[in-house]
Amino acid sequence: MDLAKYRAIFVEEAAENFAEMGRALLALEKNPGDAEAIDTMFRMAHSVKGMAASLDYTSVAELAHRLEDRMHAVRDRGRVSAGEESALLFRGLEALEAMLEAVKAGVTPPAGDPSLLAALRAPLAAEPAAAPAKPPVAAPAGAANAPAAPRPASVSVPGPSSTVRVQAGVLDRFLSTVGEVILCTSQVRTAATDGRADDGHFEEGLDRMERVVGELQRRALDLRTTPILRIVEPLPRAAREIARRAGKQVEVLLAGAELELDRSILDRLSDPLVHLVRNAVDHGIESPAERAAAGKPEAGRLVIEARREKGHVCIEVRDDGAGIDLDRLRARAVELGMLHPDLAADLTPAQAAALVFRAGLSTAREVTEVSGRGVGMDAVRATVEALGGAVEIETQRGRGTTTRLRVPITAAVQRVLLVSVGGETLALPIAKVERILETPASAVEQSGSDAFTLVDDELVPVLELASLLRLGPPPVDALRVLVLAEVRGDRVALGAARVLGQQQIYVKPVPELLAGVRALAGFTILGDGRPVFLLDPNQVA
Amino acid sequence: MARILVADDASFMRQMIREIVEAQGHEVVGEASDGDEVVEEFKRLHPDVVTMDIVMPRRSGIDAVKSIIELDRKACIVMCSALGQESLVKEALAAGARDFIVKPFKPDAVVATLSKVVEKPE
Repeated sequence: MDLAKYRAIFVEEAAENFAEMGRALLALEKNPGDAEAIDTMFRMAHSVKGMAASLDYTSVAELAHRLEDRMHAVRDRGRVSAGEESALLFRGLEALEAMLEAVKAGVTPPAGDPSLLAALRAPLAAEPAAAPAKPPVAAPAGAANAPAAPRPASVSVPGPSSTVRVQAGVLDRFLSTVGEVILCTSQVRTAATDGRADDGHFEEGLDRMERVVGELQRRALDLRTTPILRIVEPLPRAAREIARRAGKQVEVLLAGAELELDRSILDRLSDPLVHLVRNAVDHGIESPAERAAAGKPEAGRLVIEARREKGHVCIEVRDDGAGIDLDRLRARAVELGMLHPDLAADLTPAQAAALVFRAGLSTAREVTEVSGRGVGMDAVRATVEALGGAVEIETQRGRGTTTRLRVPITAAVQRVLLVSVGGETLALPIAKVERILETPASAVEQSGSDAFTLVDDELVPVLELASLLRLGPPPVDALRVLVLAEVRGDRVALGAARVLGQQQIYVKPVPELLAGVRALAGFTILGDGRPVFLLDPNQVA
Repeated sequence: MARILVADDASFMRQMIREIVEAQGHEVVGEASDGDEVVEEFKRLHPDVVTMDIVMPRRSGIDAVKSIIELDRKACIVMCSALGQESLVKEALAAGARDFIVKPFKPDAVVATLSKVVEKPE
């Protein structure tokens, strides 16, 4: 095939397509429901995808594919959503044009901007499942800038629901993907029975099948996500109710509530968030008189903000209240025998603030009706950590307290490091792994029952997974494999026999029989049929 | 050897198919760039095989299949689809298309599919 010739045709034809797409987008700005313009966008993106894929311009093909998918959704919906979506489509077109320039210049087109690709995909995939959860009242985006309007919700937050409302259209798309699986199956079967397994048909069929099943997995995962709004929506009202009882005033702002999280994670975050809000109003925000005396507005301000971070969502509960009395907290920890007095004095403010996550600690001068026996914060931490997340707290006397919950967006699929320990294969969440060390056994220093090694001039404890999990004696190799991991915020070197590699696994819940073993965060079945347990490093050490 | 009508809105794709099939000794008797044109060309040329893009302006590939099958129940149409369009392919097969090839085209796959439909006329 004469590639140069096709490249020239591609450049010419794609440029025409882009020009037409530009005109269609302008038409859509004037009339977001312009069916002809929507159809043109869809067809042009499709056409560009086909050409680009033929020439192995994968980044062009991928971006065009995303645009095509997006336009498919737009077509189903009947219109382009105002503002953002239109801007997104323009961005997509501009990126395509930039890629075409590269092709013209004879260089490989650059990879697509991941955030653009994600943006083109994200709302489309989640929208149908999310729609029923959206309230008919003020949009969450607007709530970011204005105090949330009172909503007719009760103070209590709805508990986890086991039913999921799904739009019929979503199910239809699901079924059509299942149809594709059936189609692929028959293709593979035909190839196998025709005895043409060796001329590529079989391979091709399998490839298609893999793609379609991947698509099905993506759709299924999307079904599991739902906007954070579902659990934060009742919080402003709950906060005001708590404030009213305490004779305080509070303004609540919600932001980022449109972000989506795995349903199973979201449901479990509801109680911790209620607790944080109660704490903030009850212990953080002062009475109007105290606030006036401190030169603050009489009404306290409580911000509940969700942000997207890499692979995570961070939900922040921020108040402008009195902050935590760290001296009091230190004293209380010493009084309860949790902390040696000398150590207490050495704690940094951040470390001292983190004491609130210890069970049984509370500085509230008196136990109030609504909250505060300190039972909450340790439960908050336990819940968030069990979800594979982390909690942190920041406080400034007189200025307020900020608590951050960081949780993974999806629980089900995780990238793991597979290690061999005492003849067993175990999985460690890759997010917790910093790097893998190969250290001479002599560099691991024994000090009593503890072992340490020097990493970047820092003494790091060495924990032998084999001993901890009672899988036999630790390996005695001359060269030790240590997995440098983060355990509750600290670096720890986990001793293993061998590193087997990385893998994406679908994490299944631990079978009930083993549910009592805290170190097990889940399990999966590997491609060869072997079950592998996923370790929760926080619970191992 | 077969007389082939190639329908695709992208001349890039038409050219590519033409090159692949002509290398096998088939003859491309016509090209069409939209769903209306392919039906007109089919009436005029009576080709042995039509390669039909699914997504085309004016009349979709699937509607064009329906129109052509109405004209000639024995018409031999091969759909050209992209990945992720399997449900449309199914629809086209149900409407009477004989087989399909997937973009980006692999010459071998195109040739194999064509010889299959040409050798096994229904």
